[in-house]
Amino acid sequence: MGDKGKLVQVYFGPQHPGAPGNIGYKLWLDGERIVRAEVIPGFLHRGFEKMMENRTWEMSITLSYRFCVEDPDPLEIAYALAVEDLFSAEIPENAKYIRMIQAEFSRIASHMFWIHFIGGSTGLRTPAYWAVTAREEILKWFGWYAGHRVYHNISVPGGVRYTLPEGFIERTLKVLDFVEKTVKDVEKALMRNSIFKARTIGMGKLSTKEALELGVTGPVLRATGMPYDIRKARPYLNYDKVNFEVPTGSAGDSYDRCRVRFQEIYQSIRIIRESLSKLDPSEPFRIKLPIVAPAGEGIARVETARGEYLVHIVSTRGRQPYRVRLRSTSMPLLTTVVNYIIENEEITIADFPVLLASLDPCAPDLDR
Amino acid sequence: MVLSTIKNAIKYMVKKPYTRQVPRKDDKYRSENLRGAHILYMDRCTGCSMCQRVCPAACIDMVVVEGDWPRNHRKRFPRIDHSKCTFCALCVEYCPFNALSMTDATGFELFTTDKSRTLKMPQDLKPIGKETLTKQKLLSSYAPSYALKKFVETLEGSRKVSPNG
Repeated sequence: MGDKGKLVQVYFGPQHPGAPGNIGYKLWLDGERIVRAEVIPGFLHRGFEKMMENRTWEMSITLSYRFCVEDPDPLEIAYALAVEDLFSAEIPENAKYIRMIQAEFSRIASHMFWIHFIGGSTGLRTPAYWAVTAREEILKWFGWYAGHRVYHNISVPGGVRYTLPEGFIERTLKVLDFVEKTVKDVEKALMRNSIFKARTIGMGKLSTKEALELGVTGPVLRATGMPYDIRKARPYLNYDKVNFEVPTGSAGDSYDRCRVRFQEIYQSIRIIRESLSKLDPSEPFRIKLPIVAPAGEGIARVETARGEYLVHIVSTRGRQPYRVRLRSTSMPLLTTVVNYIIENEEITIADFPVLLASLDPCAPDLDR
Repeated sequence: MVLSTIKNAIKYMVKKPYTRQVPRKDDKYRSENLRGAHILYMDRCTGCSMCQRVCPAACIDMVVVEGDWPRNHRKRFPRIDHSKCTFCALCVEYCPFNALSMTDATGFELFTTDKSRTLKMPQDLKPIGKETLTKQKLLSSYAPSYALKKFVETLEGSRKVSPNG
């Protein structure tokens, strides 16, 4: 080590605490600077798309969300929406609002977990732990409403599985109040911290044009200044009937991405509060879909915490799909974006976990 | 400045700890909808294998249990492998005879160091906690007319199965 002009190869992950889950990188270092990165995927490949071909419409729901632990609910909703699109079914209004509450709680929980991730990478674990307490409250809420903490099985083709338990609105509002208070504290402690600013401002910059060319969606694209959000651009469920804004950044650096995510949490809280007021417990929550699906295609696009996610189902009439295609949100973030930033900017080995955390990828999402 | 972090940290320092020790025998996590260990009502089960067919994890298989079962002449009952089960409750939802339901026994209550003990024979699927998730609860999300129709069908279905088949 130390020979001039000689590059050193280092393996980063999948066991490294700075690695975003079960994924590895092979890094070529020139001194401290990373000059090349090669992603090593496949540690969590389970073949979900193929497995879904051997299971009926309702059985595949339990597979549809298992490749993103942090943010499973939009994936489950997307699969349910795609099946409903295939059946050309219209679900009850209550189901739409419950799904919105579910998706937004999942987004908040995911961003809370991300705070812990970036807090750990920048050495600010103290505020990160407060964020985890808020996430814990959300997981407890899911455990109370849906029966499980992480994988919820709430949305199924045809609607949602559970009616409103007693005191649903009160408890949900209580959780939201706790989350909002905690997020404000975390935001103050994290975003105004000079160490955090020094580590993130100006690091990992992307322009809107570059982000679009690299196939980026979600908060990373919005941080570059483009207000693109599927919930606004092509509203699904009842997102066109609630008021919310799409937060955007301007510089497109790591700090802006963090700012956008914090603002998104507040917007999600706003959406949940509005959706709660529109629930009607006397109306049904679910419709019965036929067992056999017609021949055709079903497509659903949803906005997850990491960007646009797509489910495409092809049916040749029957109880099982002919083919299911899932569009990963983290694929561009972990491959092209990381390589592009490393080539165009001076990223050191100490910056690398912060860069990965600011992109907030979900490694199993890449493997599926 | 790091003052904002320190100021907030002091605020949180005086609060009581949020974390709790797990596993603990008292103050277990409970909820009304918890999907935990299964209950099998052997007197209601007809051995139709619907639970086996809808299980996405393929953790249910049908085994023979000797005895006098007037509604189950082939004496076939579901055996559930808890090490594979995802506790999705599809078996509860699709059981035509209301024979399966779930309890709030979950997590640390089901932990074992002996892997062979995760395979639950039909006789072992007894209530080890409070019954939380039943078919009726899952049917209640449908429109009342459909839920009632389905429930009546279940009842009629169970009556139709006479001791002579």
